[in-house]
Amino acid sequence: MKNKMLKQLTEIVGKKNVSADKIDLLHYAYDATQSTYLPDFVVFPENTEQISHLLELCTEYRMPVVPRGAGTGFSGGSLPISGGVCLSMEKMNRILEIDTENLTACVEAGVINYDLQQEAERLGLFYPPDPSSYKYCTVGGNVAENAGGPRAVKYGVTKNYVLGMELVFPTGEIVISGSKNMKDVAGYNLKDLMIGSEGTLAVITKLFLKLIPLPPYRSVLQAIFSDMREAARTVSSIIANRIIPSALEFIDGPCIRAVEDYLHIGLPEEAQAMLIIECDGRKESVEAELSLIEEVCKKNNAQYVKMAKDKEEEEFLWRARRSISPSLNRIRDGKLNEDVVVPRASLPEMIESTQRISKKYNLPIVNFGHAGDGNIHTNIMFKKKSEEEKRARDAMREIFETVIRMGGSISGEHGIGITKQDFLEKQLGKESIEIFRKIKRALDPNNILNPHKMKL
Amino acid sequence: MIDKKWETCVKCGLCRSVCPVFREEKKEQYVARGHITLVEEFLKGNIDFSSKKAKEYLGKCLLCTACVEACPNKAETDLAMIFARIKNTQEYGIPFYKRILSLVMKNRKTMDLSAKTVNLLHNILFVQHLETPRESISPRIGSKLIERKRLLLPVVGETFLERYPSHIEGKNGRIAVFPGCGVNYAYREIGDAFIRICKKLNIEVLIPKEQACCGGPLYFSGLIDTPVKLAKKNIDLFNALDVDFVVVIDPTCASTMKFEYERLFSYIEDGEYLEKAKRFSGLVISSEKYLHDHTPLKELLRKTEIKERTVTYHDPCHLGRAQKVKQEPRALLSAISGVKFVEMKDADTCCGNAGSFSVDFRETSLKIGLKKAESIMETDADTVATGCCGCIMQVAEALHIKGRDDIKVKHTLEIIDEALK
Ligand SMILES: Cc1cc2nc3c(=O)[nH]c(=O)nc-3n(C[C@H](O)[C@H](O)[C@H](O)COP(=O)(O)OP(=O)(O)OC[C@H]3O[C@@H](n4cnc5c(N)ncnc54)[C@H](O)[C@@H]3O)c2cc1C
Ligand code: SF4
Ligand code: SF4
Repeated sequence: MKNKMLKQLTEIVGKKNVSADKIDLLHYAYDATQSTYLPDFVVFPENTEQISHLLELCTEYRMPVVPRGAGTGFSGGSLPISGGVCLSMEKMNRILEIDTENLTACVEAGVINYDLQQEAERLGLFYPPDPSSYKYCTVGGNVAENAGGPRAVKYGVTKNYVLGMELVFPTGEIVISGSKNMKDVAGYNLKDLMIGSEGTLAVITKLFLKLIPLPPYRSVLQAIFSDMREAARTVSSIIANRIIPSALEFIDGPCIRAVEDYLHIGLPEEAQAMLIIECDGRKESVEAELSLIEEVCKKNNAQYVKMAKDKEEEEFLWRARRSISPSLNRIRDGKLNEDVVVPRASLPEMIESTQRISKKYNLPIVNFGHAGDGNIHTNIMFKKKSEEEKRARDAMREIFETVIRMGGSISGEHGIGITKQDFLEKQLGKESIEIFRKIKRALDPNNILNPHKMKL
Repeated sequence: MIDKKWETCVKCGLCRSVCPVFREEKKEQYVARGHITLVEEFLKGNIDFSSKKAKEYLGKCLLCTACVEACPNKAETDLAMIFARIKNTQEYGIPFYKRILSLVMKNRKTMDLSAKTVNLLHNILFVQHLETPRESISPRIGSKLIERKRLLLPVVGETFLERYPSHIEGKNGRIAVFPGCGVNYAYREIGDAFIRICKKLNIEVLIPKEQACCGGPLYFSGLIDTPVKLAKKNIDLFNALDVDFVVVIDPTCASTMKFEYERLFSYIEDGEYLEKAKRFSGLVISSEKYLHDHTPLKELLRKTEIKERTVTYHDPCHLGRAQKVKQEPRALLSAISGVKFVEMKDADTCCGNAGSFSVDFRETSLKIGLKKAESIMETDADTVATGCCGCIMQVAEALHIKGRDDIKVKHTLEIIDEALK
C-alpha cells in the first residue's frame, strides 16, 4: 500500500516534492520539543490545489496528515505521533501582496514571520506579532498556535491581525473565510475557529493580514532588581499606572546568567531579575512614558535603570531576551517548558508560587517571559534520564493546578499539542472537551488531520 | 575519541535563520538542526551513509559555522559534519577526483609538478580573462566537474616558495610565513604584497621551503591519514623555529592549523601531537591580525594615500568567524586616506565557495555567491576587499555574472601594499 500511495502522492506534488526515505523522514520527525515520531511520508506541496488533492487521497486511505511550518513549536503540534504524511509548508513561502492603500498583506502560510515584517517595514508598515522565534517560524504556524510575543502587551497576539484565510478542509474543500475587509460578518466566523486550532481542523494555505503604520519612534530600557518579587510587582504596578508599554518582559536571575554565559554582553550576573521595557509611538510620548516607568521601577527598589543608548544596544537586549529559552540547556539538559498565564495583577503571587514549588521538589525552576501579559515561561529544569524526571513532572502538575486555581491558563501561546493535553480537561471541564470533539468530527469526520492532539 | 560538542542542540530551529544553504534549499536536510539529527541517527545505528542522498546531505554544508556562532548552545555542527564525513570516507571511500587531489596534495613535489603542468598548458586548456573583476582563466572544454564558463584562479609559473629566499633580514620582529596553496600557486601577487609590506616594516621573515599543504581541504572532505601526516610535518617544522609568530596568509590554512589540528589529534587520540598542536596553535596568526596588532602598520598607513576609491569588505568565514579577525582588516583599510570604507549587508555571510562545495554543488554555491554580489553592488563600492583566495575567486565570478566587471576584487594586503608604494 505504501508504494501505491507514494506513487499517487508523486502524481500530485511531483517527484522532487515527496519522499518516503527514512533519511528524509528523520529530518521531519521532530520539533522544538525534541521528541521524535517518524512520519511515513514527507511532502512539500507548492500550491493549494495540491494540498486539496493530497487531503482527498489521505481521506481515501484514512492516512493521518500533520501540517508543519518550521517545526519550532513547543507543544508538539507538528509531530506525526501516529505516522502518516508530514505536510511541510516550507515551499509555500511567497508574500503575494502588500497593499499599501488598504494596509493589508496577503501571504502564503509558509512565509517566515520575519520576512513579512521586513517587507512591511520597508514600506513603512508594521506587522506586530513577534514570537521570540519570529526569525524562523512561519506565519501559518503562528496562526495555528495563535502565537504571541513581547509586543502582545500593547498590540495583541496573532489573532488580532488575521482578517481572512484560505483553508483546505480534510475532505478536500477549499474555502475562503473572511477577506481583506476590516469588517466582515457574512456567515460563521470560521477563520477565528481556525486560529489556535493547531492544525487539527484545516490546513491554512493563505492569509489576509492586517498591517498598521510603523511607529516612528521606539526606545528600550532595562531595569535590574535584587529581588524577583519586586520586579514582578513593578510589572503589575506599571499596568496599574495605566501605562501600556510596547513590550514588558521579565527575566529572572538564572536566565540572566544562562544568557550571559552565551552572549557575554555584560548583563549584571548578580541580579535576581531584570525587566526589559519598550515603548513606541511619537518621540515625546515615548520619552514621557519611559520616564514615568523609570520612576515606578525606582519606587519598587530597582537597583538600576538603564536606557539603551542606540539601536545596536536595543537589538542586543532583544537578542539576549530571545536567546533565553534555548540557552537554558546550560542549567540542566532537561526542561519542562510551560507558558502559563495568569491575570496580570496575580503575577507576583505566581512567581512566588514557582519559588515555593521549586523548593518543595528540590529542582531549579526558572522564569522569564511576557510579564506584561501575565504570561510567564516557567521552566522546570531536571537531569534527563534520572529520578529528577518524575519529580519535574510532579512539580509541573502542581504549577498547573496553582495556575488554574488563580484563574489562569495552562498555555498562553505555545498551545496544547501533546505536551499539555492531559491537563486540558482540568482547566476547561469535560463539557468543553466534548464540544471540541463534536466540532472536530463535523469538520474532520475521519479524524485524519493531526489526530490525537489536544485530546482529539 | 571525539567530544561530541553538537549534542547541546535543543532543536529550536534558530539556525534556519542564518544558514546560507538553507536559505536557498529551504529543507531541513540542509540546515544545522537537520545535520545534527543526521549524525545522531547515524550514531544510533538508524541510518548509514551508503545512499546517494546521504552523501549529498553530508556534503551540502559549507562548514561556514554561521550556525555555530548564532546557536544559543554553541552546538558545533561543523564538527558533527566533519566527524560524519570521516566515518563516511572510512566506510565508502571518496570520489575519484578527491582521491587524485589527495595524492597530489600529499607532497610538495607532486603539487609543484601539477601546477607547472597546468601553467604550461594555460594557453591550450584555458581562456584567459583580464577584464573580469579579477584576472582569471576558464576551461576551453567543460567537464562534469568544472563547467566551461567557470572562472578559475590562474596558476603561476614561479611559485611563492620558489620566488623568495628562505630568509629575509629585518630588525623588527621575526616571523615565519605560510602562504597557503592559493597564494603559492595562484594569486602569488598577494604573497608578493605581503613580502613588500614586511620589507617596508623591516620585519625579519623566514620562509621554510619544506612546509606542506595544511591538509584542510582533505580533512574537510573526511580524510584523515594524509591530513595527519601533513599536520605532523608542519607542526614539527614550525615548532622548531625560533619565531614570534607563524603568519598565515590564507585564512583557511590558518584556521585549519590553529583549530583543526587539535581536533584531528584528539580524534585519533595522539596525546603527544595534541600537545604539540596546542603549542603550534599559539604561534599561528593571520597576516591581517599580525600586521594590525604587532606592527606599526596602521600608523604608517595614516600617512599614505591612494587614488580615491570606495571599498567594501567581505569577511571570509575562516578569518572572521573562525579566527575572530573582523575589525582588524577594516581598521587597516580605513586608515588609508583616499579609501572611503563602506559596510555591505551581511558582510560575514559565506560567499558560497567553500572549496569542493563549489564543485560538488555548483548551482547552490553560485546562488549564494550571487547574493553576496548583490550585497556588494548595493554599496556602490568600486572595490571589494577580502582575505581569502577562495572568496576572491567566487566573488569575482559572481560579480562577472552580474555584469559588474567594473568592481574589482582585491586582497586586503594588496590594497595596503598599493598604499605603501
Ligand atoms: C526559541 C523559541 C522561542 C519561542 N517564542 C515564542 C513566543 O514568544 N511566543 C509564541 O507564541 N511562541 C513561541 N515559540 C513557539 C513557536 O515558535 C510558535 O508556536 C510558532 O507559531 C510555531 O510556528 P512554526 O512555523 O514553527 O509551526 P510548527 O511548529 O511547525 O507547527 C505548529 C502547529 O501549527 C500547525 N501548523 C503549522 N502550519 C500550519 C498551516 N499552514 N495550517 C494549519 N496548521 C499549521 C502544526 O500542525 C502544529 O500543530 C517559540 C519557539 C522557540 C523555539
Ligand atoms: S543547532 Fe543550535 S540553533 Fe540550531 S536547532 Fe540546534 S540548538 Fe537551535
Ligand atoms: S556550517 Fe554553514 S552551511 Fe553548514 S549548517 Fe552551519 S550555517 Fe549551514
